[in-house]
Amino acid sequence: MLWVDKYRPKTLDQVMVHQDIAQNLKKLVTEQDCPHLLFYGPSGSGKKTLIMALLRQIFGSSAEKVKVENRNWKIDIGSRTIDLELTTLSSTNHVELSPSDVGFQDRYVVQEIIKEMAKNRPIDTKGRKGYKVLVLNEVDKLSRQAQHSLRRTMEKYSASCRLILCCNSSSKVTEAIRSRCLNIRVNAPSEEQIIKVLEFVGKKEGLQLPSGFAARIAEKTNRSLRRAILSFETCRVQQYPFTSSQAIPPMDWEEYISEIATDIMKEQSPKRLFQVRGKVYELLINCIPPEIILKRLLHELLKKLDAELKHEICHWAAYYEHRMRLGQKAIFHIEAFVAKFMSIYKAFLIATFG
Amino acid sequence: MEIDIPLPEELELLEANSHFYEEPYLDPPSPDPFPPKSPPSENLEIDGSKRPRNSVETESPPEENKRTKTIEIEEEEEEEKEKEELDWLRYSPPQENKVGAAVEKDEEVYLSRHVSAINGDCMPVTAPSGGERVYAKISRAQRDEILKKLNIKERSNGLIFEPVNVLLQRVEQQVLTKALQASSEHQSDITLHDTPMVHEQLWVDKYAPSSFTELLSDEQTNREVLLWLKQWDSCVFGSEIRSTSDEVLSALRRHSSTQHQKTFDSNFSRKSRGHRWSSGSYRPINNVDQGNNNQKGMQELWNKKSRLTGPPEQKILLLCGPPGLGKTTLAHVAAKHCGYHVVEVNASDDRSSSTIETKILDVVQMNSVMADSRPKCLVIDEIDGALGDGKGAVEVILKMVSAERKSDFGRENNANKKGRKTASLSRPVICICNDLYTPALRPLRQVAKVHIFVQPTVSRVVSRLKYICNKEGMRTSSIALTALADYTECDIRSCLNTLQFLNKKKEALNVMEISSQVVGRKDMSKSAFDIWKEIFQKRKMKRDRKSNSSSGSSYGEFDFLHSLISNRGDYDVILDGIHENILQLQYHDPVMQKTVKCLNSLGVSDLMQQYVMRTQQMPLQVYQPFIAITLHRMVAQVQKPIIEWPKSYQRYRTMLMEKTDILRSWHQKIPPYISRHLSTKSCIEDLISPLLHILSPPKLRPVALHLLSETEKNDLAQLVNVMVSYSITYKNVKSDSLSTNLGQEAIVDASALSFDPPIGEFIKYKDYTSDHHVLALAMKQVLLHEVEKQKILQVSIGKSVHTTDGCSNGDQNFIGKGVSGPKSAKPICENAVAGAKNFENVKNIPNTRQGFPSTSTVSSSLVSSRSASTGAKQKSTADTRKPPSGFNFFERFRKPSSKGSQDSEIADVKEVTLERDLRPLLFKFNEGFTNAVKRPVRMREFLLR
Repeated sequence: MLWVDKYRPKTLDQVMVHQDIAQNLKKLVTEQDCPHLLFYGPSGSGKKTLIMALLRQIFGSSAEKVKVENRNWKIDIGSRTIDLELTTLSSTNHVELSPSDVGFQDRYVVQEIIKEMAKNRPIDTKGRKGYKVLVLNEVDKLSRQAQHSLRRTMEKYSASCRLILCCNSSSKVTEAIRSRCLNIRVNAPSEEQIIKVLEFVGKKEGLQLPSGFAARIAEKTNRSLRRAILSFETCRVQQYPFTSSQAIPPMDWEEYISEIATDIMKEQSPKRLFQVRGKVYELLINCIPPEIILKRLLHELLKKLDAELKHEICHWAAYYEHRMRLGQKAIFHIEAFVAKFMSIYKAFLIATFG
Repeated sequence: MEIDIPLPEELELLEANSHFYEEPYLDPPSPDPFPPKSPPSENLEIDGSKRPRNSVETESPPEENKRTKTIEIEEEEEEEKEKEELDWLRYSPPQENKVGAAVEKDEEVYLSRHVSAINGDCMPVTAPSGGERVYAKISRAQRDEILKKLNIKERSNGLIFEPVNVLLQRVEQQVLTKALQASSEHQSDITLHDTPMVHEQLWVDKYAPSSFTELLSDEQTNREVLLWLKQWDSCVFGSEIRSTSDEVLSALRRHSSTQHQKTFDSNFSRKSRGHRWSSGSYRPINNVDQGNNNQKGMQELWNKKSRLTGPPEQKILLLCGPPGLGKTTLAHVAAKHCGYHVVEVNASDDRSSSTIETKILDVVQMNSVMADSRPKCLVIDEIDGALGDGKGAVEVILKMVSAERKSDFGRENNANKKGRKTASLSRPVICICNDLYTPALRPLRQVAKVHIFVQPTVSRVVSRLKYICNKEGMRTSSIALTALADYTECDIRSCLNTLQFLNKKKEALNVMEISSQVVGRKDMSKSAFDIWKEIFQKRKMKRDRKSNSSSGSSYGEFDFLHSLISNRGDYDVILDGIHENILQLQYHDPVMQKTVKCLNSLGVSDLMQQYVMRTQQMPLQVYQPFIAITLHRMVAQVQKPIIEWPKSYQRYRTMLMEKTDILRSWHQKIPPYISRHLSTKSCIEDLISPLLHILSPPKLRPVALHLLSETEKNDLAQLVNVMVSYSITYKNVKSDSLSTNLGQEAIVDASALSFDPPIGEFIKYKDYTSDHHVLALAMKQVLLHEVEKQKILQVSIGKSVHTTDGCSNGDQNFIGKGVSGPKSAKPICENAVAGAKNFENVKNIPNTRQGFPSTSTVSSSLVSSRSASTGAKQKSTADTRKPPSGFNFFERFRKPSSKGSQDSEIADVKEVTLERDLRPLLFKFNEGFTNAVKRPVRMREFLLR
């Protein structure tokens, strides 16, 4: 397995990055009953790792014996029945799922699964924990109805069921749910922390790290620990022993976006916009989320831009991202942003160079 | 109903006359009573005199009654030309000048129209009512004139040919019907001359084209339809077919003259809608413009084709086009023209597949024994209309066509003119639809010969309208008529209906008020392509002229676009199309501000769409067209845009689905202790690129395993481990798909290995070359082998150590029982004993929960447990025999049994089985074979050394 998986901390004590959070969680669980929890933070910061370690803390090693199930729900709603299928991970004590996978019918899943879990309370003869834990991933992608239906069931079945919610941004989780949970923000690890982890991994693997190499990786990886470790391993595979000037292989999609940015800077015309559209489509086809494309594109453009334009461009990027999230066809809005940028930039060029 | 019902005496006379004229027709060589060419001087006179009468009539309606009588008389006494001429002289002189001017004007404006107008003047003879007052003389004069003009053209006029017997039959029939009508009407009020019924008839029907030459539809289409019908001749009429050679043409010329004579006779016949005209000396009206080359080619083609023996290649003709252009009329006229009896099936009929089948069979295979023994031609109208039922028709036809194809060769010789007795098409079938691209018609489209109707030119329509207006005595201007035709998009039907309505109301057609007047805008949706074209292309001044009267050109344009788009309604597609094509336009946009605005508008429409869909407030959709109009105002150009159907968004959607599916299935294959930490999103974002690097390390040498150094071996082991844990392997794929996708990959032989979940695809962007190292084929093969080995190994290890390895999958417990190691064998045995004990308990206390449902399992495992306690050798056999459900069963029993009956026996048994299980021996007796001692060996022992 990859280093990412190999050196993932298994218990709260092993956690290296968010030690404070880990200790708090440990105290919380050992001393008293666990409340509903909401973990939020950027991807690659260690939310899932913390959750798994927490489960292990609560249920012991049995929490790690999980099985994958494709579960079907038949839900009767008055006139008709809905068939839903969802992959769940479950152990004897917890169930893990991403209800947003079923799209707009996530509401039924949320309602059903909590009721179901409440019905079969685990009979623990040793009388340890009388509740199950439901881990819901990507709560921010839940539809509003699902979130609303969640908040009542959360209270109603709290005796038998604890929820651990996990999402990237708490802003898309309704106020009502947030107030029912203990919110835990998991920051992206700082570069120092990443360096520490990389050095730890290097030591375990018995590698010689040139000074500053870890720092370079950390800097490149946008403060995502997962990506840092993956890049580290990539570098190891590419070339070992390391040299301090070794190239760190970039993400392909990021590379592609930077190509797009170069295209945009070179020429500003409807024709070029059309080419850009084709490339953006390529990215979208390959499952890159449009928000990330826009963000990355802005990032790449800003790198090449005069300082006086940066503010305006950022403003427009935010404007179009907002619209993109309201709308449906991301391509329209990304393209509108590119057009806007082209227009501004071209006007700027004309004004500057005549 | 006719105004002037002929008196019985007249009728008799008529009948006699018609019989008289029939005979020369029957017998072509016999001398015509009327020489085809009348002296030119007379013609001139007549030509001059024809017009005034027309105008007089239109201007003086009150006189009509009086005059109709005189005309009747005229018509009766056709043969006495002098007298008639006298009559004309009586009428004509006062109008002489005016007429001349009118004719002149007509001629200089529309040549073809003029001819057609003249043509029309002579036609009304055949109209069932209203036209009866007209003009035997005129038409004859007309004919002469035309004959003179068209002598050359007739030579090339190859399409119009009617078998003589068909004509004869028709004549007979007409006579018969005439007599019948006359007799029936005789009983009613004869003196009633001015029946109001006359005006009640729709102009559309009244002035429906009765002959091929009168058709307003596109000449090319007409001719091709006719050509197609003619190709059937050989199979329908058999030997009666004659190709249009010169002799036929000359015969035709003679016939045409006789025919005209004949028409005069049957003037009073209401049924005489005149197929007789169809031999068509008037057809080449437009040829004056078109020139003869075209026609010559046509004729050659036809001559060539007509010599073929079989029916045409495509047995079905599919006419499509917007309503009101005369598709049905064309089908009828052309079929009649070619001597068929038209059988029409339209949407009002039952069109389920059983009824339609019998109907088609009737039409196609049977010959009527009744008087009308003309072959039939099936016209299926509005075939796109009723989807469910119409489909039946389509299916039946397709079936017949395909049946025909299969058995085509064998039966070719047997085919005779009587028609075949099999379910194949031996008669022409014409299908008519409005929308060619209806899904129901898709199969038909492939086998049928498709003709798309285009709008006739406005001038043709207008000239026809004008002619009709003149006939009806309605005052109109050609400007108004042009506007009307324009407005209705040359829908003749709606034009005529409008005119008739106005006439009834005694109103004049007003140019300015066409839109506000009675004419309802046709609620016809245009195709998406038309709409995009309208949006991207600036209209010429034509439309502005019409609309600027109301309130400026932009306003009219706005209205026009708005109604256009909202009639179509499919905003999503329309806006997609705009998005797809907008960047290809050549609009002037130096700083791209227009582009920004356009894309912003598109964004707004997307937001709107999303909001409407989310809240289900469909009424808000009405605001969508305005966005399109905004875009039109910004980017519309005069030049013609190149418009493509918006495919890329759909393509994006489907590809995205595909890739997401790949990703998801891969994600599910990854064991949960890894996959739970990865969302599919982060897979793409973070994982794939590094993973690809890691999976193909550049340093790995493609050499045999034992040649690798220790570190390299470690690396390899690590790599294999990664591949297994991410459930990635290599598999064979065709190289061409690969090499096109990734030019970098140099693949020599046909088959190549690529990643099994095709994760490499996720970084293959267009015009992007990644710097991923690609392993050599040999290395891949080594890896593939190693991965497979590792997988097997892991399964077996997973069995034995799954209790200690927290990561292993729970349900592997059940799958891998066959290779269960000693540790798993132990609890089984233990359970078996426990189960046995419990089973006895169950017997004693039958209401124990688990007892009843699983008695059989228990008994079988009882056997196994007994054998386990007696002999260790048999234990192993029992173990293999044990049904799979046993494990579940025992697990359930585990706790109570361990509580209830904890014995030292169990411990003993456990020890014994543990020992035996380490070295199990299997004695198996097979009759007919040597007795053998077999020893099961685990894969693990081969792999782990």
